[in-house]
Amino acid sequence: MDWSAPHAGFVMAAYAASAIGIFGLIIWLVRRDINARKQDQRLG
Amino acid sequence: MQKFANPHVFVKLATAILPYVWALTAILFVIGLYGALVTSPPDYQQGETVRIIYVHVPASWLALMIYSLMAVFSAVALIFRHPLADAAAKSAAPIGAVFCFLALFTGSVWGKPMWGTWWVWDARLTSMFVLMLLYLGYIAIWRAIDDPHRAASIAAIVALVGAINVPIVKYSVDWWNTLHQPASVFRMSGSTIDKSMLWPLLVMALAYTMLFVALHLVALRGEVFLRKIRNRRLAEVRNK
Repeated sequence: MDWSAPHAGFVMAAYAASAIGIFGLIIWLVRRDINARKQDQRLG
Repeated sequence: MQKFANPHVFVKLATAILPYVWALTAILFVIGLYGALVTSPPDYQQGETVRIIYVHVPASWLALMIYSLMAVFSAVALIFRHPLADAAAKSAAPIGAVFCFLALFTGSVWGKPMWGTWWVWDARLTSMFVLMLLYLGYIAIWRAIDDPHRAASIAAIVALVGAINVPIVKYSVDWWNTLHQPASVFRMSGSTIDKSMLWPLLVMALAYTMLFVALHLVALRGEVFLRKIRNRRLAEVRNK
């Protein structure tokens, strides 16, 4: 990938948005799962 | 199959296989991104912009596949009243919505330098936008209705009715005259993409699919725990 090529900024934006979307989803779902498990254990 | 779909068995099974699924996902992403950003050549017409395809196409495929899966889970939930089926459909929806949004966003970012516009209301883009609205509508139903059984039934019907949009998205480029290019990978006459670009695309598609499997297992396990907590609280209230 030539980052100085024309339209390289568009490629960067697409990959950055994908990374943000995917990592956001991972963080949200993993935190939700951990909190639910903890709550379940607390309630016995 | 019934045995594995028991919520308790599912939680145990998901916990056991999740580390391997995450590991495989990470490996596939490393290989796929290496192919997408390092080894694959720039296109003779699109230049470096062609690399957007490696994140746009897998996100689009996943958005369609996840909605189809939601329709299947919903049908199982309506017909067999299976305890995990509606939870599986519900857990898949936000993941599908994010992939659908990413497909629209990355497509738009590709469209600006290639077509000269961020958006056109052609059949493919419009039907994909409708898919996004269907995802949001499905999620809204679960959030708006307090009674989970009622929410499950209404959401399942919406998922099944909305499934009509899946073949419309897929074949929109063949049925109508669209700015969006026709299918170039899965064609009866074979792929029109060069091998140097095809393998990173397929590896990225596999990586996205494994990511969905991992995320869905996590989301469904969380949903099982949340339902267990809810049922326990309801039982406590009833016993008071």
